Amino acid sequence: MSAFWYYVFTLLFFLFDYFILAMGLNIQYGETGILNFAYIGFVAIGAYVTGAVSMPDSAGTGQHYILGLNIPFPINLIIGGLTASALALIVALISLRRLRTDYLAMVLISLSLVLYDICNNFVPLFNGADGLYNVPEPMAGVLKLTTNSFVPFFAGVAGVVALIMWFLMSRITRSPLGRTFRAIRDDAGVASALGKGVFRYQLTSMLIGSFYAGVGGGLIIQFGGSFNPSAWLPGETFVIFAVIIVGGVGNNIGMIAGSLLVETLLVHLPAFLPSIPSHPGLIEYVDAMVIGILLMVMLWFRPQGMIPERIRRSPISASTPLSSVTAVAARAGAEPLSTVEEGGAS
Amino acid sequence: MQQFWLAFGFGLVTASVLAISAVGLSLQFGITNYINFAYGDFMALGAFLTLEVNSGFLHLNIWFAMVGGSLGMGVLAVLINRFLLSPFARRFDKTFYVLIVTFGLSLIILNVIYAIWGANVRAYNMPIEQVLHIGPFLLTRNQLIVMAISLSLMVLVHIMLKTTRLGKSMRAMSDNTTLAMTSGIDTKRITTITWFLSGTMAGLAGTVLGITEGNLTPASGELFLFVIFAAVIVGGVGSIYGAMAGAVLIGLATEISAVFINPSYKLDVAFVLLILTLLFRPSGLFARPGKA
Repeated sequence: MSAFWYYVFTLLFFLFDYFILAMGLNIQYGETGILNFAYIGFVAIGAYVTGAVSMPDSAGTGQHYILGLNIPFPINLIIGGLTASALALIVALISLRRLRTDYLAMVLISLSLVLYDICNNFVPLFNGADGLYNVPEPMAGVLKLTTNSFVPFFAGVAGVVALIMWFLMSRITRSPLGRTFRAIRDDAGVASALGKGVFRYQLTSMLIGSFYAGVGGGLIIQFGGSFNPSAWLPGETFVIFAVIIVGGVGNNIGMIAGSLLVETLLVHLPAFLPSIPSHPGLIEYVDAMVIGILLMVMLWFRPQGMIPERIRRSPISASTPLSSVTAVAARAGAEPLSTVEEGGAS
Repeated sequence: MQQFWLAFGFGLVTASVLAISAVGLSLQFGITNYINFAYGDFMALGAFLTLEVNSGFLHLNIWFAMVGGSLGMGVLAVLINRFLLSPFARRFDKTFYVLIVTFGLSLIILNVIYAIWGANVRAYNMPIEQVLHIGPFLLTRNQLIVMAISLSLMVLVHIMLKTTRLGKSMRAMSDNTTLAMTSGIDTKRITTITWFLSGTMAGLAGTVLGITEGNLTPASGELFLFVIFAAVIVGGVGSIYGAMAGAVLIGLATEISAVFINPSYKLDVAFVLLILTLLFRPSGLFARPGKA
């Protein structure tokens, strides 16, 4: 296989993978309004656990890691996703109920930095700063894949996983659960006044999103065969935010557009450019600046993203006669509701 | 016991650095009511501006360079607020947008530093210090100067907040911006001054962090950010005096813990304290109504 196709399939893999990651962050931030600045930490935990459970016992490998259970492909991915969710459960129970959006974001970004610090320094956990390597290529043994045929094969696998995840996510966002998420995002005070347990829904959203993060991370470690702390500096979370904001917050299809533009074109394509000898790494730095600037320009001129969220209309439209309850609510509407909003926002 | 006192001394040094950074962050937060997630990178940028004055073509003494680097960062902070943050904050009601912008700004500044100064570990050009024995403590002259700077800055901030017209306006705005505006306070001017102070203090904190640690890297500010957040949350978000108290507490706790645990994890102790605060006293030690 020529180098060209190798690149193409690598790019395709990252397109699918970031589609999954973006959907996970989208349900947290785009649908429910949780500013999860620790997202990449959940991705990393998913990746490490997926890798570690699929590897043999650490004794003879020259690496230090926990688990090492030889668990085969689809199951290890699910374990990775569930572990990320379990971490999210702990985090959410401690911090979600008590904090306003921006303090929550502070705690989460701190969490991301601390997780990084611990995984980087504590060698027995996931081999410290060297990270895990020689992670088995899933199904390579059964299908007799070579290093060359593995890349297109696994890009296909990621495509299938992404399709399944997208199908599930589109069910969730269309369901009453998704509707409640959006109500909380738009105004948590009103949602709770209508009897929705805001905390419980935010918790659910965190768990679902983190599962997506874990699965996306699990695919990355199995595709590359290795994963180390340099792959998940806290700034990486921002790239995923850029994907969903450029693509269109609150829209699953927008995620693939954002992932194509930001992840494939801006993050991975420049990696193939020849580097400037006098300034090694300069392309990478400029690239990161471009992503930051693109996001700001996008937020300013088109905050709804390339493919905006569809306005979902309820079956009761203006032409339908109002039932007595909604009529009363509509007449009493404006004044009392706005007081509720102010109380809830503080 | 001797080890404990040694660690206590180092704790006071860390607390001094933390106090400057935490108060700078809190001042700006009180006025604009959103967290600046690029604050860690403000610190790093200030530290590198100092490096440029210190070992670049000017070759100034480190303490003069520090003043230059900090004031430079203050001016940059004003420009960043004027042309980037304040338009976003004015245009969008939800704080989401401006928070994401500060988060993106942190990525941009970090990479600007990488592009200009490279990824290598750098150090300030300053004379090698002898260690002094002061009571049970072992400190260098530079560390003592840093502590003195921090202490006098805290006193100055206190005097400014309590006695000057500027400080009173800032406290009024922090309590209620609309009321302050209707009372005739020029809120725009106060905001600009606050960003200048916050940026200057960030630059100062980044520089003294580089001095006390003995080295600086572009990511050093960002990795220090969670310790600042811990100090701010433990002290009570939005309270300047809380930030000072939180800084002392976190500074001492991290360094003293290094006596008992592997020093690689000493900063993570700050995060543990942050979690404990959230569990048992979510509004912090010095809570301010309406801010948490």
